[in-house]
Amino acid sequence: MKRNLKFILALIKMKLSHMMVFRLSFFGAFFVDGSLFLIQILTFQAIYSQVDSIGGWSRGEMIIFIGTFSMINALNMVIFFFGVITIPDKIKNGQLDHYITKPVSPLLRLTFENVNPGSIPLLFLSVGIITYGISLLEITVTPLRVIGYIILVLIMTVLWYDIELLLRIIPLFTVSAYNFSRLEDSLLDVSMKIPGVLLKGVFKLILYLVIPYGIMSTFPTQFITNTLSPGWLAYGCGIVILFTYLTGRIWKLGLKYYKSASS
Amino acid sequence: MRKDIEIIKLIFKTQLVWRFDIAANVLFTISKIVFAYIVWSAVFGEKEMIAGFTFHTMLSYYIISSFLSQLDMSERIGWDISSAIRGGTFSKFMVLPINTERYFIARTIGASAFHLLFHLIAAVIWIFIFQIRFAFTGDIYMLLSAACFVIIGLLFMMQLNYMLGILTFQFGNIDVFLMIKSTLVSFITGTLVPLILLPASIVAFMRVFPFYYITYLPSMLLIGQNRDEIITGIITLSLWVLAFVPVNKLLYHRLRVRFDGVGI
Repeated sequence: MKRNLKFILALIKMKLSHMMVFRLSFFGAFFVDGSLFLIQILTFQAIYSQVDSIGGWSRGEMIIFIGTFSMINALNMVIFFFGVITIPDKIKNGQLDHYITKPVSPLLRLTFENVNPGSIPLLFLSVGIITYGISLLEITVTPLRVIGYIILVLIMTVLWYDIELLLRIIPLFTVSAYNFSRLEDSLLDVSMKIPGVLLKGVFKLILYLVIPYGIMSTFPTQFITNTLSPGWLAYGCGIVILFTYLTGRIWKLGLKYYKSASS
Repeated sequence: MRKDIEIIKLIFKTQLVWRFDIAANVLFTISKIVFAYIVWSAVFGEKEMIAGFTFHTMLSYYIISSFLSQLDMSERIGWDISSAIRGGTFSKFMVLPINTERYFIARTIGASAFHLLFHLIAAVIWIFIFQIRFAFTGDIYMLLSAACFVIIGLLFMMQLNYMLGILTFQFGNIDVFLMIKSTLVSFITGTLVPLILLPASIVAFMRVFPFYYITYLPSMLLIGQNRDEIITGIITLSLWVLAFVPVNKLLYHRLRVRFDGVGI
């Protein structure tokens, strides 16, 4: 564990010195994603100018939902996004060889070798959005509820990582997974715009169970507004455990299938 | 003009190679319709009429605006120019026996013409899947006006993306800017939400700019609304297109000398 932590710190240090060479694009991810979530808020402000609630959710709940999604996305961008997205290319051109032949976990290195501190301001922006949402709702939030919310956000970040990784290791079994990436984009697009409470039928089945992006921001939002039932809370935790287990197993299985294109 | 037509034909043919990828991409555009269907189902559960829309006219609006926004393939101009300049391969466009801007415009028309059929099929599929009572005007004047807006609007977007692309000569890397522009454009063209839902003062301000007329107004015309905005709209949008002609020419001639042809 101590050895892994030391290794992660070394990777972060290396990445930081690399990023300083390209200072102009340092905050790129922050500006891109920040604008995305601000536009999202404007979209829902326009809809809420016509109605008081959407599927029982008021403006405040919707803003917390958007802020929470932004927060989980920010954690993803800061910690592992830029590392995980390189996996399909590394599988395709055989670069994965350099990772599996080193005396350190290849997944650990792939996950943390491209941390992006430029997205850290997105965390502050998300906190601002969530605080604004809470102020609109005029609810009292106890410190215990805040801690629970933070834990739930972190758990959902793990779920995001699991799904992101699962879709990126498909090339270990197939030649190309381009369309899986497109599928991921579409599902994320829907999930960041539509709270899970609005989903019904086949949409709920897909986004709550098959690829559970639908619960990632909905459950923490429901938790902090005190509307998440213990049953759904248990379901959320169970899904994360299941997906983490599956991801680990499929990664190990995939490595056995890896054919090393470069040699 | 013959050169332009040849480029359009060539690009149209090369798109055939990617037909299955294109078909898959078109299917994934469902996310916009799903968003509209789920959110507006919930909204219209509480009200029957919102800003002059019924549930079905609202979904018709999203189907049409999604179709029009997908038809606009001009975003690739900015990305292609930017990567060609940074990679040192832009010189291949400089030596073509055709004006660079006209080349990119012809290329985009060729690609859009090929995608037109796929997006039309997708739109019909979504109408059937979501069982939408599709609202579509039968007024010829509105139909022709919408077609004019679409054509001039696409031309403006090509000019805009060309301008952004050649700014790479000056700034080196415009990726972040292109991504932010894409998000902003989807909002201000009314692809995310009909602009009529915004405060009246903001809508009045947006009418001065071309984006209002690119997707939003033609979509509204096609569902049979906003007839009185046709004349002012055509004039405004045309003026923007005309204004961009000298701007792009001047920018290109000023900035191209900065190209150092990396790798040549």
